[in-house]
Amino acid sequence: MSKKILYEAKNVSKRFTVGSRFSAKGRLTVNAVDNVSITIHEGETLGLVGESGCGKSTLGRCMTRLYEISEGHLVFDGTDISRLSMRALRPLRAKLQMVFQDPSASLNPRRRIRDLIAEPLRIHSKLNEAQITKRVAELLELVGLLPDHATRFQHEFSGGQRQRIGIARAIALNPKLIVLDEPVSALDVSVQAQIVNLLADLQEKLGLTYAFIAHDLSVVRQVSTRIAVMYLGSIVELGNAEDIFSNPAHPYTQALISAVPVPDINKAGSRKRIVLSGDVPSPINPPSGCHFHPRCPVAQERCKIERPSLLTHSNNRTVACHFPIDVRRD
Amino acid sequence: MLLAILRRVGQMFFVMVGISMLVFMIFFATPGADPASRIAGRNASPEILEAVRKSFGFDQPFYVQYLIMMKKIFITGDLTSFVNRGWKVVPAVLDTIPVTLSLVIGAAILWVIFGIIIGTVAAATRGSWLDKLLMILGLIGISMPVYWLGEVMNLVTQSRYHDTWMFSWVPPLGYKNLSSDPKGWFLTLIIPWITLAILYIGLYGRVLRANLIEAMQEDYVRTARAKGLSETRILLRHALRTSLISFVTLFGLDFGALVGGSALLTEVVFDLHGVGKLTYDALQNLDLPVIMTTVMYASFFVVLANALVDVVYILLDPRVRSV
Amino acid sequence: MLSVRDLRVSFCTEQGMVQAIDGVSFDVAEGEILGVVGESGSGKTVSLLAVMGLITDPNAVIEGSIKYQGRELVGLSAKDMRKLRGREIAMIFQDPMTALTPVYTIGWQIAEQIRAHEKISAKAAEQRAIDLLQEVNIPNPAEAIHLYPHQLSGGMRQRAVIAMALSCNPSLLVADEPTTALDVTVQAQILDLVRKLQKNYKSAVVFITHDMGVIAEIADRVMVMYAGRIAERGSKRELFSEPQHPYTQALLDSIPPLEGKRPHRLKSIPGAPPALLHRSTGCAFAPRCAKRFDACVNMPILTANGHDAACFKVNPI
Repeated sequence: MSKKILYEAKNVSKRFTVGSRFSAKGRLTVNAVDNVSITIHEGETLGLVGESGCGKSTLGRCMTRLYEISEGHLVFDGTDISRLSMRALRPLRAKLQMVFQDPSASLNPRRRIRDLIAEPLRIHSKLNEAQITKRVAELLELVGLLPDHATRFQHEFSGGQRQRIGIARAIALNPKLIVLDEPVSALDVSVQAQIVNLLADLQEKLGLTYAFIAHDLSVVRQVSTRIAVMYLGSIVELGNAEDIFSNPAHPYTQALISAVPVPDINKAGSRKRIVLSGDVPSPINPPSGCHFHPRCPVAQERCKIERPSLLTHSNNRTVACHFPIDVRRD
Repeated sequence: MLLAILRRVGQMFFVMVGISMLVFMIFFATPGADPASRIAGRNASPEILEAVRKSFGFDQPFYVQYLIMMKKIFITGDLTSFVNRGWKVVPAVLDTIPVTLSLVIGAAILWVIFGIIIGTVAAATRGSWLDKLLMILGLIGISMPVYWLGEVMNLVTQSRYHDTWMFSWVPPLGYKNLSSDPKGWFLTLIIPWITLAILYIGLYGRVLRANLIEAMQEDYVRTARAKGLSETRILLRHALRTSLISFVTLFGLDFGALVGGSALLTEVVFDLHGVGKLTYDALQNLDLPVIMTTVMYASFFVVLANALVDVVYILLDPRVRSV
Repeated sequence: MLSVRDLRVSFCTEQGMVQAIDGVSFDVAEGEILGVVGESGSGKTVSLLAVMGLITDPNAVIEGSIKYQGRELVGLSAKDMRKLRGREIAMIFQDPMTALTPVYTIGWQIAEQIRAHEKISAKAAEQRAIDLLQEVNIPNPAEAIHLYPHQLSGGMRQRAVIAMALSCNPSLLVADEPTTALDVTVQAQILDLVRKLQKNYKSAVVFITHDMGVIAEIADRVMVMYAGRIAERGSKRELFSEPQHPYTQALLDSIPPLEGKRPHRLKSIPGAPPALLHRSTGCAFAPRCAKRFDACVNMPILTANGHDAACFKVNPI
């Protein structure tokens, strides 16, 4: 990795309090994101995967300062943005965009597509009306929509097209980093692939960097350069996308990958499936020691007491496990 | 569950103390006017002003004034009206409470029963002529102003048709004491109950119907259908039970407001000397001690009714219990 | 056991008649798992709701024939249908978060179903509920029956829903995307559970999903639906190893692989599934199909050889 670091999250934690002082259990703290450090290099895609409650979406929102972080630092393009005021943050917002799962919820249904895409341009750029119109047409073409779509409303579009509009809005200001929060999860399978391809094309054409948050492992594998696997607010494994899938080092990663049903009957029989017992525990009251130990097939006494720290092993693989599965060099 | 209820009651007292302070501040701690002269009423002589100032402690700090006032209202009960000299305010308010409670509780029983029946029947027969008829009747009920309806009721039952077999049982206007004359109490209140309830029957019937129809679209109703339950059972045990939660919210607000004095028009029309009537008269005379006491009483009732609603919530909705 | 012939479901809307299901025929044999795949709007859920008699929309028109163990269900009285539902044919829904009534305990809700179909004491029904929860691997079932839905995790709720569906030992279980709302690791547990229960109870299962991977894991036979019609059907082996319909083929190709070399680009299907109102008279997939040719302006007919596809490439006129 010779490329320069574009984004760095250092020891980021995000705590939420739930319940009120007057409730039976009193105020409770949820460590939604617990001491997470990640770096994103220019031009790469960092995939964040995990099950519900693992904190991947919260981390994404912290990265774009939609949530205030409780602890840690966020460095974007050389600037520490973790404590910048909203006003000081504004010029940087143009360079740091976010795309959400449900595009129809983030697009005003009463405005034309043209105006929706032009909105960030009007706020952040000094373009005149003619230039804005030209830029909107350009953006529509970039995301694979037709020029005459500009005057329509979002309800006239299918889910995939709406996500294209959401992406057009996000790239309008030539951002450097886009945080994509489950961008294809709400779409039909046949449309998912279109959007995945579109994102790859745009990355190539515009030199974008992505943080790609998703629960669908096969999609994350397809798009990511590196992948961080999260469990209950912490990163349990981080490494190159293809390597992680061929040689998972953390028992959780291994189980997660093995649990994905594969649409290939020849492989379905030969694949070793590890079915974990129990559900993901509540982040309000996480298990002692390694958070994964109650469900872990290889847990030992030590795992109940001592929390493993993230250690970098061979092949650029970082794992938080006392007994990682052998990471081979291949 | 008991703990949740106790906690809610504790919260209620906390809010009540807060309200009493706020009411006190609004009436006496607002700058620019001499509270003594407000209490004393218009055209009070300097001696009376001085007496007021002494007895309410207006020459002392605010918190002392507040405590004196609270003592006068809640402990000694010797707060006196200065418009009608020597008239004790607290017993006067206490006297009116049974009247208002009798009126509102009776009407509430009527409107809850008929509101549920109408709402459920309309939802069950959605789209039919019966549903449409009930909803139109409900709308008419909501649209009729209570003072007009009351006067019409009086006209019909007290004069025009009073001598026919239908309404000869209706006693003259006014309130009869429940403990000394239970039959008279009941008979005098029947017409006021119906008059007050009609508006709310229409309102609650329509709201419940909408809630039920929404609930019938829920996934758990589909599950109930897939279980092979009868439509009646699904409507009553599954949809109605969950719809009652919002019904109760509405009820708490309306009931609290009515007991707190909103039943004024009904009280006036039927010559019932309730809290609303008392407040109205006090406002006419700017009788500050009376106004303050009834305002405090009214807000206490809204708080109490809301606390009761929350207790009912705890009974109705298991999700609230664990919070 | 279940035989659906030429099922048509249409809805009267303000914009005219909408044909949600357009001539669907299929059979379910005893003890088999039929997988039904399709995207949103493909009619996979609506067709099974029609079988269950659960389409309550007064504007819906259901035509065709649905025979359950020789008995015609279309036009059956509501009362007779009710006796069948929950007892003979049970259903599991997608979202376990909303599928249970929030104000009753799960034990109560399971007992309610048992008592709706059998004359049995409350005590005995409760015991059956405990046994059922045991069966679906809910820990401490004797205490779990007193829990309310919100006190259970998504996976546990789905187990409770499954226990409820099995309470009267149905011979046909319709599962509508039962794992879609769940996490992958929990999905694996539920799939294992469905398989185990299907063996123990010998029920036939119709498993509706949009996930080809889930189908590959669980189904014996597969039916692929597109725009209210069957695109392809056959045994799992046939369908996955030699998909005949271009849609099935494209659907399989568009899923990113979990192992091996990553393709530079995914093979995607252009466009989007057609909206209900804008269905053509020809092959509904033709506008998105890479293999379309002149004949595709007509409606292709589903072959009938066991492994069938509705495509002119497979079945030229």
